[in-house]
Amino acid sequence: MKQKIHLTLNGKKVSIEAPAHRLLLDLLRDELELTGTKEGCGTGDCGACTVILNGKPVNSCLVLSGELDGADVVTIEGLQTEKGLDPVQRAFIQAASVQCGYCTPGMIMMAKALLDENPSPTEEEIRFALAGNLCRCTGYTKIIQAVRMAAEELRSRQ
Amino acid sequence: MEFTYIGKSVRRLDVEDKVTGRTVYGYDLKLPGMVHGKAVLSSRPHARIIRIDLEEARKLPGVLTIVTGRDLPFIHGESVKDKPFLAIDKVRFIGEPVAAVAAVDEETAQKAASLIRVEYEELPAYFDPKEAMKSGAHPIHEHYDSYEKAPFIRSAPFPNICHYSRLRYGSVEQGFSQSDLIFEERYEVPTIQHAAMEPHSAIAQVDENGKVVLWVANDAPHRAQTELAEALKLPLEKIRFINPYQGGGFGSKGGLKVEPLAVALALQLKGRPVRIKFNREETFTSTLTRHEAIIDIKSGVKKDGTLVAREMKIIWGTGAYAEKGPTVCIRGSMPAPGPYRIPHVKVDGYAVYTNKAVAGSFRGYGIPQGAWACEQHMDMIAQALAIDPLEIRLKNIFVEGDETYWGERLHGVGLKETLLKAAEAIEWGKKDQGIKGLRVEGLKGSRVKRGKGIACISKPTRTPTTSNAYVQVAGDGTVQVFASTVEIGQGANTILAMIAAEELKAPIDWVTVAQPDTDITPFDASTTSSRSTYHMGNAVRFAAIDAREKLVEIAAPMLEAERHALLVENGKICLRDAPQMALTFGEVIRRRFGANGSLQGRGSYTFTAGKDLDPETGQSSRASAFYMYAAQAAEVEVDEETGKVRVLRISAAHDVGKAINPLNCIQQIEGGLVMGYGAALHEQLITDANGRILNPSFLDYHLPTSLDIPELIPIIVEAPEAEGPYGAKGLGEPGLAPTAAAIGNAVFDAIGVRIRELPLTPERVYRALQQQKKGAA
Repeated sequence: MKQKIHLTLNGKKVSIEAPAHRLLLDLLRDELELTGTKEGCGTGDCGACTVILNGKPVNSCLVLSGELDGADVVTIEGLQTEKGLDPVQRAFIQAASVQCGYCTPGMIMMAKALLDENPSPTEEEIRFALAGNLCRCTGYTKIIQAVRMAAEELRSRQ
Repeated sequence: MEFTYIGKSVRRLDVEDKVTGRTVYGYDLKLPGMVHGKAVLSSRPHARIIRIDLEEARKLPGVLTIVTGRDLPFIHGESVKDKPFLAIDKVRFIGEPVAAVAAVDEETAQKAASLIRVEYEELPAYFDPKEAMKSGAHPIHEHYDSYEKAPFIRSAPFPNICHYSRLRYGSVEQGFSQSDLIFEERYEVPTIQHAAMEPHSAIAQVDENGKVVLWVANDAPHRAQTELAEALKLPLEKIRFINPYQGGGFGSKGGLKVEPLAVALALQLKGRPVRIKFNREETFTSTLTRHEAIIDIKSGVKKDGTLVAREMKIIWGTGAYAEKGPTVCIRGSMPAPGPYRIPHVKVDGYAVYTNKAVAGSFRGYGIPQGAWACEQHMDMIAQALAIDPLEIRLKNIFVEGDETYWGERLHGVGLKETLLKAAEAIEWGKKDQGIKGLRVEGLKGSRVKRGKGIACISKPTRTPTTSNAYVQVAGDGTVQVFASTVEIGQGANTILAMIAAEELKAPIDWVTVAQPDTDITPFDASTTSSRSTYHMGNAVRFAAIDAREKLVEIAAPMLEAERHALLVENGKICLRDAPQMALTFGEVIRRRFGANGSLQGRGSYTFTAGKDLDPETGQSSRASAFYMYAAQAAEVEVDEETGKVRVLRISAAHDVGKAINPLNCIQQIEGGLVMGYGAALHEQLITDANGRILNPSFLDYHLPTSLDIPELIPIIVEAPEAEGPYGAKGLGEPGLAPTAAAIGNAVFDAIGVRIRELPLTPERVYRALQQQKKGAA
């Protein structure tokens, strides 16, 4: 049975009908045509589908639509503003952190959530925050470097 | 020579789309009117299919069609045609597709699949290739002899042999009799998986003219087109592969994987596109794995460490179907004795069918397995002779002009430099020194021991193969490269654009690379075997030169000058002596062809020198268009109380011939290294006594994470390759090839225990330590 869900998606009010058991991941990719959020496992093990829900990073494959009424959801498509790319996105480009790019949106959302909460993470804290986001191409070093660079840029702006 | 782009770390062309989520991968694709497919997978490892009951599933509203193997008399396979689209009459592994359903939505398809009942009669099943090839074993392929096969396929007088390859050079008997010492060991490598982050999927549609169109992130669209055309007995032009971006593949997304399921359903659905998406579990159980291997190695050496003879027998567990097993067996067995001058060599390689998931191409194509054995064996010899592991390698490695034991003369050999640089980067020879950022306390007498290890490889590429390319210049001066190289994350699009820009003398911002589409982009053998920069790089280079020459020819009368008086630079053609007299590419094209005109340059590259492989002896004077050389060195800590191995740092020096984009090279080396690290320390597909994979999820199959990785020290070495574009070789695969052996050697250096099976889990290391203590007591 479908139910009406009102949520804020990438800063805009959205109303959508979906059965309560529909996953947030499927809602984004299939109903809302936001395919920037990737599916890597569907079981919460790889982090490719990470989005920011009410300020916290979540695996969108583990969130049911029934929980979403009134929620605030930010996806990779919501990071870019009229001013351009988000500093985290820019850092991923500068640090050459991207190869196949399939894990990249999830990585960026996780890094964004980390820096929102902790603007000066240590390397250990960065590694820990990204530990649930798998990447098979890069070997992680350049991703960790990107998060450090984004943190520096964000701090220098303050 | 001064280059504008070559040798520069140009930013990847596709990176902005990837950080914003705009890139469309195979898994993201949707088509209007699309319906959804789901496969029913075998629950038995080896069984006759007695009955498939479709009745309940057919009754479910929303189900559009159901197919089984009997509806599809199509057999495919690259070198042995042994695989049906869906199992026909028998299943050969748990996870083999038995039936497929199409329905209006994914949920209905899944429900219908769960309602299909299959009745089996079990047959003896083999999960260990050694058992499968024992005399009297039940055949996994009863009709193997009647299968259509490539001419190089050979059999051997054992059951369940999919392919047998051999190499003979000198006389090992003579070599062993001339040796001072003989060493003999067995090494084993378990099955692992590619685990690309994007799972497998395909969309198929049969159009009104009966043309089969596929949208799939396949790494070799033309090869897959041929394989599918041969299976369906259709002309090539009736098959079209359209390639979206690929979210990693590492060898798992070539050939036909989910494609036959989508095609099987599309053939029934008359024009409607049907999508099959494998979930992660299905990707683990039903796509592809890396070959397990059992490697016997025997060497005869002089007391001074000179190699005299080496004999190897390698059993490759190839799983239930041939796939690329035969060529992994050939190209993995041939160079398995290592990158060394050895006067007497004998290798026997057996690709053996088992009742496990299909094994096939995996980044490195058999080289990592061989290196695990050969490179630890080299250290074992070095230790017995009290020679430094680096020294014994330097004494025996291939150098410029050497003839290999497969009969090829080598040129552009950067191996020595890779060894020296990899060793230097971890301070080879210095023991138990403090490491940057790490405090070393009380290592003496501590339960934590530290050691260093080194390993090296050479890797061939698929030869001979062809790449074709067009470079098109449009009426506005923009340039498009038409090539069927697939952007799988390796950065090929950027490399090809750089080469086109360099040769055309066009700004790189003007250059884009078309997505592969067999109806549009010209033939390419495959995006595999680290071959793209070399082969397609050459083809694009020739195409860009051709386009440039054509532009100059057309512009000459416009500028009222002879061709030799013209200069091409920065997207313009001008007079050498009066550069202000210039026409842009766009102006030249518009004047000649009109406002919407365009001009096309063509390029083709095939490596042609030498003689093909002799199947009797494995000798070939062109076994490979080029060789990639690499050495890696690791420093580890081993906790003797828990068996835990911690890699502190690992250097990787790779001879790339010429780094066309150095940053891209570093990315490939780092990624390869960490993949090799995973295979060394954690990764293994574990099967139970019935052949069921017990860890088909990222929770249970331990990929390296950001918390695991050691300090990585990537190093580029450039020993130019004469025919390569700007001297380039390849790089995609070797990143992981010597890693496990380097770590294994470091573990030995730390604790004095040789571990011959992978992965180096704490349990395995702990048990090996206990065994050693028992032996000593």
